[in-house]
Amino acid sequence: MNRRTYRSITALAAVGLFAGAASAPALASGGGGGVTKSGHCSAHSTWKLNAKPDNGRIEVEGEVDSNVAGQHWTWRILHNGGVSAHGRAQTLGPSGSFSVGRRLVNASGADQIGWRAHNPATGESCAGNLTI
Amino acid sequence: MLGRWPSRTSGSAAAARRPRWTRPVIQFVAAGIVALVILLVASGWLTKRAATAEAIVVARSTTQLLATTVVEPALSRGLVQGRTVSIDRFDRLALRRLIVGDVLRIKIWDASGRIVYSDKTQLIGDRFTLGAEERAVLDNGGTAAQVSDLTAPENRYERSFGQLLEVYAQVWVPGGRKLMFEAYYSYADVSRRSAQVLKEFRPITVAGLVIFVALTVPLVWVLARRLDASAAERERLLMAAVEASEHERRRIARDLHDGVVQDLAGISFGASATARELSDRPEVARRLEALGLGVRRSLRTLRSLLVEIYPPDLATEGLAAALDDLLAPAVAAGIDVDLQVADTTGVRPDASALAWRVAQEAVRNAVRHGRPQSIRVTVTVSADLLVLIVVDDGAGFVPASVPRGDHLGLRGLRDLIIEAGGALEIESAPGVGTTVRLEISR
Repeated sequence: MNRRTYRSITALAAVGLFAGAASAPALASGGGGGVTKSGHCSAHSTWKLNAKPDNGRIEVEGEVDSNVAGQHWTWRILHNGGVSAHGRAQTLGPSGSFSVGRRLVNASGADQIGWRAHNPATGESCAGNLTI
Repeated sequence: MLGRWPSRTSGSAAAARRPRWTRPVIQFVAAGIVALVILLVASGWLTKRAATAEAIVVARSTTQLLATTVVEPALSRGLVQGRTVSIDRFDRLALRRLIVGDVLRIKIWDASGRIVYSDKTQLIGDRFTLGAEERAVLDNGGTAAQVSDLTAPENRYERSFGQLLEVYAQVWVPGGRKLMFEAYYSYADVSRRSAQVLKEFRPITVAGLVIFVALTVPLVWVLARRLDASAAERERLLMAAVEASEHERRRIARDLHDGVVQDLAGISFGASATARELSDRPEVARRLEALGLGVRRSLRTLRSLLVEIYPPDLATEGLAAALDDLLAPAVAAGIDVDLQVADTTGVRPDASALAWRVAQEAVRNAVRHGRPQSIRVTVTVSADLLVLIVVDDGAGFVPASVPRGDHLGLRGLRDLIIEAGGALEIESAPGVGTTVRLEISR
């Protein structure tokens, strides 16, 4: 297997994982102008995505709860299809979770917000989307 | 019997009677206070202007620094194209590193007048017309500053900030596209800066002037005392001169009255009596009668002169009678005379004497220089004042053009009147006669 083929398979696997995660059942709730969605990641963890308008901006908070402290995750916040913010985080005790908050510009029309998280050590991925 | 000129007050008494505000030391302190106020207002205005200029310079430098070190490195094509994630990234940077300190708002414009970015995100994507100054900065670089027009639609979200200073600077997007970065500063900062500068310099200014006044007040006080003493001495000398003159006039008048006047009266009566005895020589009798008439005419003239040389005794004769005598030469000269004198009972003798003297000068000047057809003299007395008005319909004159030597009598009298707390007004113009008005406390 050459290097190019390996990369293609890896990319397809990642897409499949995210697609599977995205297709996992997600719960949605709203109130006070905000929208919250939550769901299961590809393994045992759960994710939650909350967005609410804030004076011309959108306050976004993404959360992953793995029940295991000390795990290292990479995360991304998507806004209208592009990566608005990304970074790394570590789950902390006692709940074994991490959360990330960012303020996004409230673009004209509906805003598509996405939350992605990936644990390179376990291969687990989380994906959630909402519209506000 | 011949009267006397009123006794005068001494210089120190006059100084004591002078209103408090006319004293030189008080005038100097008042002038110092006025100067202090003017200095404070002027220095405040200049300081504010300088502080404003300085604040604008600082704002321009700050804006240029922000444009170069923060805005330009963060600009991207995505931001110019309106990509949401590019705006998100720039927004986070702007809130963290641009909307700090004195900067209340920022906007980034493209050449078409579109707001590419503003921390007031509702403005992003809106278009407005760029002003000439803004366009010049966008095209040519540099910075410019002006007070924000808060009525302009692009500034509608800034109205709650109050007065603002907006500063523009040119910025470049990677790839060579020019944008304009605009930062808004509160004008309150300018006022605050002005207040700081004033706070630093005002004590120096105020203390300097206060020390100056404090040091010079004693000097002025000493000078004022010397001036008062000098004025008192001058007045004493003037009084001595006037009294000497009065004494001399009294002596001349007495000599004339007791000598020449009595002799002329005797001659007149003798000539008339002799003329009556020469009924058989009518021609000689007529000549003697004519001689007696001439002597009596001269006698009347001499008595008028005596009245002028020395005033009558007002206490004995009363002001009305004295003024009547005063007007006798005018009547003899064919001038229509009208005299109205109120009851002067209870009027101070020196006030009556001053009135008589002013009337004497006014009538004398009118007869000598004005050639009037009528003279009207009125004396009214109220609860507090005696008012004398002498009006003639003579030639009149321009008061300012009268040489110092002329009308010296009224000029000299004015000083005495002021010293006595009165006021003298002379109104005249060529062709409209002259009005002399004296007001003096009764």
